Amino acid sequence: MRARFAVSLAWRNVWRQKRRTFITAGSVATAMLLSLFMRSMQEGSYANNLDNATRFYSGYLQLQHPEFSESGSIDKLLPSDDAFLRRVQSIDGLTTAVPRLESFGLGAAGSKSKGVIVMGVAPEAEDAYSGLAARVRHGRYFAQGDENAALVGGRLAKYLEIEPGDELVLYGQGYHGATAAGLFQVAGIIDYPNQALDSRIVYLPLAAAQRLYATGERVSAWVLHGENVRGIPALEAAARATMDGIGPTNAGSPTDIESPLETAGTTNTRIRVRNWAEISPELEQQITLDRVSGQFLVLILYGIVGFGVFATIAMMTLERRREFGVMLATGMPRLRLIQLVLFESVCLAATGIALGLVITMPVLLWFYRHPIPLSGEIAAATEAMGFEPIIPFSLAPEIFLEQVQILVVIFAACSTYPMFRIWRLKAAAALKG
Amino acid sequence: MAIVLHDLTKIYNQDTDFPITAVDAVSLTIGAGDFVAVMGPSGSGKTTLLNMMGGIDRPTSGSVSIDEVDITGLADKDLVAFRRDNIGFIFQDFSLLPVLTAEENVEFVMQLQGHSASECARRAQELLREVGLEDRMDTVPAKLSGGQQQRVAVARALAPRPKFVLADEPTANLDAETTHGLLDLMQRMNENKGITFIFSTHDPRVIARARRVIVFEDGHVTEDRRQ
Repeated sequence: MRARFAVSLAWRNVWRQKRRTFITAGSVATAMLLSLFMRSMQEGSYANNLDNATRFYSGYLQLQHPEFSESGSIDKLLPSDDAFLRRVQSIDGLTTAVPRLESFGLGAAGSKSKGVIVMGVAPEAEDAYSGLAARVRHGRYFAQGDENAALVGGRLAKYLEIEPGDELVLYGQGYHGATAAGLFQVAGIIDYPNQALDSRIVYLPLAAAQRLYATGERVSAWVLHGENVRGIPALEAAARATMDGIGPTNAGSPTDIESPLETAGTTNTRIRVRNWAEISPELEQQITLDRVSGQFLVLILYGIVGFGVFATIAMMTLERRREFGVMLATGMPRLRLIQLVLFESVCLAATGIALGLVITMPVLLWFYRHPIPLSGEIAAATEAMGFEPIIPFSLAPEIFLEQVQILVVIFAACSTYPMFRIWRLKAAAALKG
Repeated sequence: MAIVLHDLTKIYNQDTDFPITAVDAVSLTIGAGDFVAVMGPSGSGKTTLLNMMGGIDRPTSGSVSIDEVDITGLADKDLVAFRRDNIGFIFQDFSLLPVLTAEENVEFVMQLQGHSASECARRAQELLREVGLEDRMDTVPAKLSGGQQQRVAVARALAPRPKFVLADEPTANLDAETTHGLLDLMQRMNENKGITFIFSTHDPRVIARARRVIVFEDGHVTEDRRQ
């Protein structure tokens, strides 16, 4: 039997009981609508929150000295000269690269002191990237020519009892054992979305931080950002390819007389590319857990729909026992008959999926273009965490593919029993009805 | 094409305390081109006998040979192919596929044989013209009368160019006029094309037309006469 004839026969068989087919396809479509709505909302929120969160701290990726993450040492640095920047900017898919110099020190004001994280940032580039200026609650952001200005996390400022205009002493260990000590003036107090960091963070202009730690033109990380969250794996691969095998001696200009990697006494000259999940594993775990719980709900929903699908496919088969007997008697090979039933399941699944997409796509498109705005306390809490007060939706193809895969498995599983019955069917017995 | 039944026996529920012998050691030879009626009361074993002749059912013992091919010894796959290429079936309730048109129903077995679409269509149309349904080719069975459906079933049985046709009570659901028309058709096919027809029936109108009548009771041949 030609495939076209078989598919045509299967399609017509599916529509023998129009009402039943519509009910089954409708239940599949409804399940698709509900699960796609939920998954689209989940993935949209993850992408949005991730984008917001990474801008403020980890970036999508960071380039670091291979030993920096383990040691946190101020000696494990990367260059920040123009030649190295050009190399970084040649990474495919890169939209933003900002330098940061991160180290630890003791912050003191008046009679109070506390261990702090000192973050040197390029003021304009950092503000353009993470919107740091908008986080200033009191005082002002860094201005041109600020050489000794500092921005202090709100909780840290409260602990040290300092306000804009007050002095802050930073003390620690600088590059290669040098003493790092400096007096800074508090320019502003910021609201940092992460409470733990809010009680420890001190921002300095990059040049001031480099001077404090005597690092010269070096930074602890280049923070990289791409078009969107979905492009992170490609961006990471491109970053690795661009940075593969190079250290500061061959990455930067020939005048780069000191190699931080060499001076660190390591034989590993590669620059390490770390993604956001490595830098913030707790954020990744949180997203994974939430995603799995969503997928579990989707499976429960489809499990319920699966019973209906099974009933339909079983009925479509069992009520045609005599018809199958006639087909076998007139010379249809058993495998062809099983193939026909499989085609019927495929047609039914395709109808349900097509109907599901037709009713779901306009809904998702609407919410994709018009995210649900949050209001009241929820919006305030969301904003305080550094996230936009909206529930965005995603149209990532993976979400749709996931639904189709689940449905294919359900229909395949539901077809197993009828196919088994046909495999065991005796033509003579079937002809008796 | 001769059909030779040798000591053919079919016992149902053989492994239980209540075995039922439907066909009991039947030996028969049906010659090529014959027009045979197997008659007997309901439950006499006529359908079981025809099913075994057509390779739809396997005997408990004995053999069925068609043109010296022992079909009882064929593997399932070979038996299906043999049945498809050599035997036509007509059923009491017509058993057309409800979603296919008359023409597509006739094409169905030819499709299984692997003929081209144009060859299937050409032969199906030719057969439907022969059975007088040239104006109903695109009609689905539900919109055909009983007699028209049975004529489509005859065309379907003849489509793969079988050597013989087995018809299980083909006139049971037809009125007198339709029955005569259908018998005329089958007789014409038998005489013009030399196709062997074997009917199971208790319809006297069919028996009157048969050249050979085999009377079957309780699984045995009780009478075998030519007329």
